[in-house]
Amino acid sequence: MFIAPGEFLCMEGDKSSSLYIVKSGLLIGTSSNKESGQSSENYGPGSLIGEFSLLEDAPCKETIRAAETSEVIEITQDVLNSNLEQRPFWLKSILSFLSSRYHLAEENKQKSNLIQTLPPLLYLMTKAIENKGSDLIPLKELHRNLKSLNGTTESDLKRILQLLEELDLLTLKADYIRVSSLQLIPLLYETLRYRALSKKVSPNILPMSDQMILSAFVQAARENGAPLQNGICTISTEQLKTVAKQSMHGITLTSRLLYPLVQKGILKPSSPFNIHSALESIESFEADFEKVLDMLELNRIFPLLDKKLVQ
Amino acid sequence: MITGDSRQQIIPPTRSHVKAGFVVYTPNEGDRSIVILDEGKLAAIDTSGGQRKVVFEMQPGDLVGVASLLERETFRYTLEAVEDSQVTYINEDCMESALKTLPVWMLAVVKSLSAKTRKLKEDVKKPRSANTLKSLAEFCKHKMSKVAIPLTNIIQEFHWQTKIPFAQIKEDLKALARRKFIILQQEQGESFLKVQETELLGIFVDYQTSIEEGSIWYPFRLSLLQKKILVYLSTLDASENLDSPSWLTKIQQRFPQFDVTQWIQLQQFQWFVEKEDGTFVINADKVNYYLTALRYETNIRGVL
Repeated sequence: MFIAPGEFLCMEGDKSSSLYIVKSGLLIGTSSNKESGQSSENYGPGSLIGEFSLLEDAPCKETIRAAETSEVIEITQDVLNSNLEQRPFWLKSILSFLSSRYHLAEENKQKSNLIQTLPPLLYLMTKAIENKGSDLIPLKELHRNLKSLNGTTESDLKRILQLLEELDLLTLKADYIRVSSLQLIPLLYETLRYRALSKKVSPNILPMSDQMILSAFVQAARENGAPLQNGICTISTEQLKTVAKQSMHGITLTSRLLYPLVQKGILKPSSPFNIHSALESIESFEADFEKVLDMLELNRIFPLLDKKLVQ
Repeated sequence: MITGDSRQQIIPPTRSHVKAGFVVYTPNEGDRSIVILDEGKLAAIDTSGGQRKVVFEMQPGDLVGVASLLERETFRYTLEAVEDSQVTYINEDCMESALKTLPVWMLAVVKSLSAKTRKLKEDVKKPRSANTLKSLAEFCKHKMSKVAIPLTNIIQEFHWQTKIPFAQIKEDLKALARRKFIILQQEQGESFLKVQETELLGIFVDYQTSIEEGSIWYPFRLSLLQKKILVYLSTLDASENLDSPSWLTKIQQRFPQFDVTQWIQLQQFQWFVEKEDGTFVINADKVNYYLTALRYETNIRGVL
């Protein structure tokens, strides 16, 4: 069939079950999925349009328009089926397999795009927070920088921001994002960076026992109700032991259990402390309360992040 | 005898009955084949590293080896019969003979699907940035100016973020150093990077973006008059607050050829910011941006 210049072969989203082969002329395909500035697709002689429409009744992915007088040959599903009937049974299985394999590769590419977007995104968000000291990051600027750094499309950026929003890391608005904690994004970036470059788990990722002790610390602080001094919270060892015993299912807090947190500088004892110290000799422990909350939040999110990206 | 039948004959596939526990196919087999399970159950086993691990199981109707046969990809697993099974093998000769009988359009569909899948798989391994130099400039732009950073850290971190190969990163670092955007130095046997001015890198990124998009890069398209006005504005008090006619008059006193058209052009350059009351103040950041771009034009263009 012939298509005059300017005429449409099909519109994006139209139901279709035919394959078109361009015999002569030129058709141009455009899609609403393409980012502004991306080039359209050209279909010259020999090009195929609509393989998946033919094989799977997939709707048109693009709006196809003739740039000049063009001749196309239409292959319908009836033609496909009658041809396949005359051929070995396994040929149909192969076509079906190739089609599934393509979709799997497409899905993997999308997942890979998301996974690859996360490190540069967190890097840019960290730098935006450090430079401005604000929890608001303009979306337009973020996308512009991310596109320059990593070629990330706007749709990929939106998807990953939605994912981070589901993890309560940020709130996504029309023109900006608001991060839930100024320290958490840099902490997450640093943790991922450490893992990628040193091939080891970051010291920020705490064993369950450390997390439970910190949770007990937070709970004790909340029960205490004592105001923070420059963000520092002090809890008596006695209170910490009591709360920990309740929340850690009867486990008694010891110096050995607390030592890793003291060594990392997350908890500070009121007097000199080592793994063999009697806990009763320490009057209290203090910590940067926001930092403790961020550490707990990081350890909650971290295992969920990998799962979310791969899903 | 001449029969007049010139149709290609399809070489039939091989059918085989396999007892449970027997190997149906190994990766080391010389012949590549598609294996279709007609009846029974097969297991695909990974024996690499000396260990046996069942990767997946095949049910009747499943097939493996298509990529192996059509695209020369290695099929890595050993196929074993979990129970007594009926299997069809399609080897290269059989496949070729079948493909030769296909109408041209169907063959084109097969090739198109394979090619598109192959491209997707290749794209996953490639960096997403087409312009690696711009990407590196963007990355360095967010580092602190004049602070020595170990070069290894920069390269590793950037590679992790972008998947750009190390060799390309090193070339691009040299390119940025040639343009004087960064300094590469050695201290006590270790290499360091120092960003000269982050603003310069930002301007370079914007310039590269304008080239890619085919858009006008205004800093390098200023007329002589506009350049003179730019310098003049940089000498004024940035807090001076005038309405549009007053700015026109003020600039005309210095540059009589300045007119309304020129004033509108300056708005396009964003050299002024309009306030809520309708007055205008000089956008000092933008003026400085343009001045810096002009001062380092040869570095930004790469003509040194």
